[in-house]
Formats: sequence, structure tokens, C-alpha cells
Amino acid sequence: MAVVDAPTSRTGDRAPGFGRPSMGFIFWLSVTWILLVVLAAALADVVPLRDPDALGVRTGEIERFETPGKNAWFGGDGQGRDLFAQVIHGARPAMVLSAAVTSIGGSLGVLVGVVAGYFRGRTDSVIMGVAEIMFAFPAIILLFAVSAIWGMTMAILIPAMAILAVPGYARIVRGVTIALAERDFVDAARAMGASRSRVVIKELLPLVALPAIAFGFLGFGLVIATEGALAFLGLGLEQRTWGSLIAGGQGLIREAPHLALIPATAMFLTIMAFNYVGDGIRELIDPRPIVVGRKRKADGHDPAISAASEALLSIRNLTTSFPTAGGTVTAVDGVSLDVRTGRSVGIVGESGSGKTMLLRSITGAFPVLGVQRTGRVVVDGTDLLTASPAQRSTMLGTEIGIVSQNPLTALNPVRTVGSQLIEVMRVHREISKAAARARAIESLAQVGIPQPDQRVDMYPHQLSGGMRQRVTIALALANEPRLLLADEPTTALDVTIQDQILRLLSALCEQRDMALVLVTHDLQVVRGWTDDVAVMYGGQIVEAGPTAAVFDDPQHQYTQALLASTPRLDLRPHSRLASIEGQPPSLVAPPPGCRFAARCTIADDRCRAEDPMPVQIRDREFRCWYPGTGKAT
Amino acid sequence: MSAVARLTVRLVVVALAVSFASFSLLSAAPGDPAAAKAGFSATPERVAEIRSELGLDDPFLVRYGDWLAGVVQGNFGTSVLNQQPASKLIGDAMPHTVELMILAQIIALGVAIPAGVYSAQRPNGWFDRLAGAVSFGMLATPPFVLGIYLAFVFAVRLDWLPAVATDLPGLLEDPVENLRQMILPALTLASGMVAIYVRLLRTDLIETLQQDFVLMAQSRGYSRRRVLWRHAFRPSAFSLLTATGLTTAGLLGGALIAETLFAVPGVGRLAVTAIFTEDYDVVMGVVLLLSVAFVVTNFVVDALYTVLDPRVRHGSR
Repeated sequence: MAVVDAPTSRTGDRAPGFGRPSMGFIFWLSVTWILLVVLAAALADVVPLRDPDALGVRTGEIERFETPGKNAWFGGDGQGRDLFAQVIHGARPAMVLSAAVTSIGGSLGVLVGVVAGYFRGRTDSVIMGVAEIMFAFPAIILLFAVSAIWGMTMAILIPAMAILAVPGYARIVRGVTIALAERDFVDAARAMGASRSRVVIKELLPLVALPAIAFGFLGFGLVIATEGALAFLGLGLEQRTWGSLIAGGQGLIREAPHLALIPATAMFLTIMAFNYVGDGIRELIDPRPIVVGRKRKADGHDPAISAASEALLSIRNLTTSFPTAGGTVTAVDGVSLDVRTGRSVGIVGESGSGKTMLLRSITGAFPVLGVQRTGRVVVDGTDLLTASPAQRSTMLGTEIGIVSQNPLTALNPVRTVGSQLIEVMRVHREISKAAARARAIESLAQVGIPQPDQRVDMYPHQLSGGMRQRVTIALALANEPRLLLADEPTTALDVTIQDQILRLLSALCEQRDMALVLVTHDLQVVRGWTDDVAVMYGGQIVEAGPTAAVFDDPQHQYTQALLASTPRLDLRPHSRLASIEGQPPSLVAPPPGCRFAARCTIADDRCRAEDPMPVQIRDREFRCWYPGTGKAT
Repeated sequence: MSAVARLTVRLVVVALAVSFASFSLLSAAPGDPAAAKAGFSATPERVAEIRSELGLDDPFLVRYGDWLAGVVQGNFGTSVLNQQPASKLIGDAMPHTVELMILAQIIALGVAIPAGVYSAQRPNGWFDRLAGAVSFGMLATPPFVLGIYLAFVFAVRLDWLPAVATDLPGLLEDPVENLRQMILPALTLASGMVAIYVRLLRTDLIETLQQDFVLMAQSRGYSRRRVLWRHAFRPSAFSLLTATGLTTAGLLGGALIAETLFAVPGVGRLAVTAIFTEDYDVVMGVVLLLSVAFVVTNFVVDALYTVLDPRVRHGSR
């Protein structure tokens, strides 16, 4: 029976970001619109239009306030002038102004931004300080004063607006430059003796050009809007512009709404088109990573779980897959595992073997979107894959505790330790706030945190890494779960703390008769702290059994290689797995046959062609055609 | 340096820089405030008299110094139009503008927070795409264009709301009528911010939702709502907060447009009128007010960080 976590249609390959149109239909529509506007601006005098200044009241061609129609497409204004001709002619000042302001202000801004970002230090602080004051300065005052002194002509407005545009570009480019300047090739260029200004011009400018151009398209639209706003306030250009047309029509919105609405729409569409194209370019140069998120929904029917096994956690044929840009990754591939009450099971394997995904598949909280799980994950008689959301939530909150890999990121940074502990208790059971707080302090004491009555009101960042891991353990144990899942609980901690935490976990499991699943890549942790072990490779469990037996007499060639990669008898404490020659198999398209075959020293054609059947001998299980010493079975 | 001292220094520096720049620009303008004050029929002698009364014959720096000295004593000068103190004109107009800006922020945050949160929950879901397209359109719409659309639809076609706020009662005197007149200008002002806020919140929330502590909260069997609001929202709200501060400056420029378009008797309209009537003391007063408001808003935002983010409070971020 399959449980689908997300619609299968969700392929997940490079999905476009929010509000970021892909280079599709609308992008080209926008390009077309821009070209039309540019053509209108260039050819307004050539194309057969009515004279925009011809008074319809005199020529008799257009009536006063004529509504848009066949005679005059956009209607006529108060003197019967043709609005269509006026809008076409109004495109020119918008285009000229925007093009000039964007190119002048943009290049200046890019230069300033590169200099600030590359030279940093005092240069940077001065430039950014000036930029900040410019942001605080009301631009409209500057533009007004300028227009009052010299009159509002193109020759005045272009430099004034270009200067105002500089800080925006500078800020964007500075950010890009700072990121780039730390890269190797810039250092390399400098090491090869290039002068600083040469580095700026030859290495950095070409790279910041594209982001600047993308921003330029947005800026282009902004200039059109600003000119409109100025005209609207009565400070516009002397020419006829869209802004002046809108300003003229605005007062007549009741009598002749087309006079304001049509030029406003022309302006809106043009700005929109420039924004779309700018965004399209930005997406080209800055492709977003796969959009991830979460969506989990367990649906389907209750599968009438077979006779309750004695295991507290029973995983059967669990497969977990999710889509990526390169194809569907099957991170957990047909795993079955039983954990009995009071036992501790270590899950060991290299990075990417699927051990963390196996643990996540139990709780169903994934950092990627569109994860699908099939099979069964039964905890205390309830299949978590088919349980109702309420059932699942209760199981997760009261039966299962989780300890995460990195205590530095596992706690909510903006809430106190106490509020997080109280929350987990109050969500899942009836308990007063005061009682929960008392219990929170008690539980902090139980996990060995000194002065728990003070620490309870602290924020995570005020505690050391080891203390934080103790807090996550307290959180996991708050509702007295029967199953504890720990994902490399000691990896992020230093060696002396590691031992304390493992000792604590082990003691707590014993006291409370909890089952423990401990994921790790540290063989010594498995050997020292678990009853049973499951070795994972390429998403499968390749060998499982009692820890002592597996360590003494490994059957699978991979297990043997793992153990051999660390000195057997004089093991240094906490030594990590030394790498085995070769790469783990692809989880997108796993090779046929044994997954370890490519790296195995004794693999033959059979290993490469046929997937080994799991072999079960008493309490041990493995999938290998040539187990143990390598003689055929 | 304590926070208050830092604020004071920034206030003084920005206010001085901005007021000096504005003062120099305005005094270079060709208009003659003395002539404006004297009126059309005044003799040249009378104009000269007024000019020396106003101190317009003094060197530029002296005049700036005089103006600054007046400001320090609370005297912002007198309107040449109706002889009222500039501070009184600005003080009368202020409440309307402040109300407009607060209304606009409330509308913007009220729309953007649910929209951003819902978008982030299902990136690329139908709501996300819709919200993306809508906010893209809003971002591309200049405020005066949107204002005209709004006025056309709600005032002309539907006739639900007044197109102008000329007889605007105080918010406390007649709240219903006041809000009826303010809602279109506030919407005009809010639209650009909604788009920015939705984008910021969505981006940050998507990132937060992948973080370990959120996955851990899910693993504890918390409801989706609890995970979103109690765990993910607050750590994702910092960019939103910054933007709220930054847009407040832009809002002042936007208020100019919205107030002119809907005839709201606020500071923005006062400034536009003052500019055209060469009423420079009023213009300078408004400019000073704007730059102070800009600095103070950003300071308040910084202060809010420490409330929202304990890591800042303990200086260990």
C-alpha cells in the first residue's frame, strides 16, 4: 500500500521563484510591448497620426470629451484633441528620459558600488554614509529646486534624476562586489601582479554588469513612474508626457474618465513590462536553487496492521524518495527494522547512506518538498504513514522523542528554554502553566543542567553547545516517550562532552525502559553504546545484528571494509570512519546488482548483475553473495 | 556610546546635512519670497523693506545660521502666505499625515503577513503564484496611477467612498466619516509596501521553515499552525521589520502624492502648496520634520529588534 506524501505531479525540478516569471510567454510579451513603445517613441512623427495639437472643436473631426471609439481610438480631450496621438507622442519623453537617466545614473552607480565594495574600509563608509543621507533627503525637494532654478527641461531633469539614481545602483553593486571580491580569482589576479584598479576594471566590472542591467530595467520603470509623479504634482517636463496627460485628466475623472485612465494604463503596462524583463534577466543570472518547502499528508486507509509484533518500532519495506533537479532520489530503499522496548539500535553508514533520511522517515519532517514514503512505520501498533493527523501528532508528541544532530540549530533561537519545554508539555497533555514550568525545571535538572531554575529563563544562545544538547534531550523526554530517536547527537560537540551526552542518553533509556535508535557514523559510538546495529549503504540496510556479533564477525564485505578502515584492536577513541576507495552509488539510478560491488575487492559478475537476497541466520541478517571470508554460499 | 547618545548624534548629523542642502537649494531658487509676501500691488520700496525685515539681504550662511538659531528656540519662521507660524501650519497638518501613514502600514502588514505566510507554506502552490503575480503588479503600479484607478472604481463607478477628503473631520470627532475619507489614500499608499513585505516575508519564512528547529517542532507533533506562528514566524520577521522602517521614508514621499490626489489636508499637501507659493519657511520645516522622522523611525526599528530577537539583546549575534 502506498502512502503518497505529495502529489506526484510535483516534479520539483527547478521551479521558478515567487513572482519571478520564467522566460516564457509573458516575458516575450513584455519585450514586444517595450519594442512597441520604443517604436512609438521613435516614429511618432512618421506614422500617419492626427496632429496631437489639432483642436477637434475647430477641425470638427473629434468632439469635446469624445468617448473612445472608431473615430478616435482613445477618445478626445476637452478641446477635442486626439488622445491616441497624444499618448503615442507622450511615449518619446518617457523613453528618452528613462534611457538617459538609467544609463548615466546606472554607470555612475556601478562604478561607485564597485569601488565601495572592492576597496572597503574608509572609502566604503564615506560612500555609504553619503548614500544614506541621500536616501533620507526628499528627492522631490531637490527636483523642485532644480526646476525652479533652471526650469524643467530634459537637460536639467536627466542629470538631476541620474544623481538620485546613483545610490540605488551603488548599493546593489556593492553587495555583489563584496561577495565576488572574496573569491579566488580576484585574489589570483592580484597575486599575479594586477594593480587594484586593473582588478576592478578587468575582473569585477564585467561580472557586476549583468546584475546592474537587471536592476537597470527595474530602474527604467522607476524613472517613468517618477516623471509621472512629478508631472502629477505640477513639476513635470515642458513636453507632453504620459504624466502630464494623467495630471490633466485627473480632475475630470467623473466627466471623462478615459482621459486619465488611458495614459495611466499605458504607463502601468510599460512599467510592468520593464519590471518583467528585468526580473527575467535576474533569473537568468541568478537561478534559484530548487524551491523547497514542506507538504506531508498521510492519507489512505487503515491497513489493518498485522498481529502486534513485540517490537515497539517496526519498519517494513520503507522506501523514501524525493525529487531533485537530477531525478528522483531514493534515499531509503526497502528498509525493514525492528526495535524492541528497552533496546538500543545503532544505525551506521557513510554520509549519504540514507541513515538520517531513515530517521526522518519515521517522524515525517523533511527539509525538502515532495517526499514520498511507502511501506509501514508502526510505533506501538499505529502506522504513522496512515494515521490521521491528530493521531500522528499525538504519537509524535508523546510516544517518540527526537534528539537532533546539531544542538546549535535545533532550538528556537528567539524563545527561552523554558517556554519551549512548557509548550511541548502543554500541547500534548492537560497541565497548568505553573505545573509545566515546575516540571520543566525538574527535567532540566534530570539531564544534568546545573542551576535549572535560572537556566529555564535563558535563551539558547546563552548556553554552551553541550548544555543545549541537554536541553534538546530534556525536550525529547518531556512527555516521557517510549522511543527515542537520536541523529548523530554528539557530532557537533567536542570530545569530552560527547561522552557525557552518550552516558546520559544511555542512562535515561535504561531508567525509563525506552528504546533508542542512534544514528551515527562513529563506529566507536555504536560499539560502546548500542545493543544492535544496522549498517546502511546506498539507502539499504546491508547488514544487521547484535552489535558485538557484527563487530566480531562481520558478514557483508562493506561492513568488513568499514571495520578494516579503522585499526581493529588498538582503536583510538571516537575515530571516524576512514574512507573506502571509490564513491557511494548514485541514489537516483542505483546500479543493478549489489550496490557495493563497484567498491568491493572481491565482487564478480554475479555481484554486478544480481541484487543479493537478504539472508537471515538466527538474529543476524545481511545481503551479500560472498559473506564472511568471501567463499560462496 | 549609549543608544540615546547614538540616536542624538545621527539625528543632528542627518538633520544638519539635509536642512543645509535644502536651504542652499531653496535660496538659489529664483523666486523672491519678499515679493510674494508684499503682494502684486506693492511698490519696489515696500518689497525692499520686507526683504531686509526678513533678512534676505544677509549672506547665505548668516541666513542659514539665523534659521537654525530660530529652530533651536522652537521658531520655524512664518508663512508668507497667511502670516501663521510655520510650526502651527505643520502641527495642524501633521495628525492627518501620521494617521494616513499608520493606516497604510496597518493595511500593508495586515494584508502582507497572512499572504506571505500562506505563500511560504506552499511555495509554487496556487496561492503563492497568485500572490506573486498580484504583488508583482502592485510593485509596478505608481501610486498616483493606482490612486486614479481606485478613485475611478470606488468613488466614480461604485460611489461608495468620497474622491476627495476636503472636509476631513478629526479621527476622534467623527471616526466613521474620517475613515471613509482616508481609506482610499491609505490604500494608495499601502499597495507598494504590500508587495515588498510579501516578498521579504515569504523568502525568509521559506528559509526558516527548512531549519532544524522547525523540523524538530514538527517532529514533536505540533500542528502546522503552531509551527508556523509560534516557531517560524518571529525568526522570519526581521527583514520585514527593517523594511517597515525603510519604507516609512518612502511613505513620506508617497504621502505627497496620495494627499494631493485625494486632497487630504496633511503635511504632504502643505509642502506641495508651499513649494508653489515660495513659502520657504514652511518648506524647510517640513523637510526638517521628514529627515527627523526618517532617523527616528529607523531607530525605533533597531530598538524593536532587541525586543524580537534575544540574540541582539544579549549582544551575541
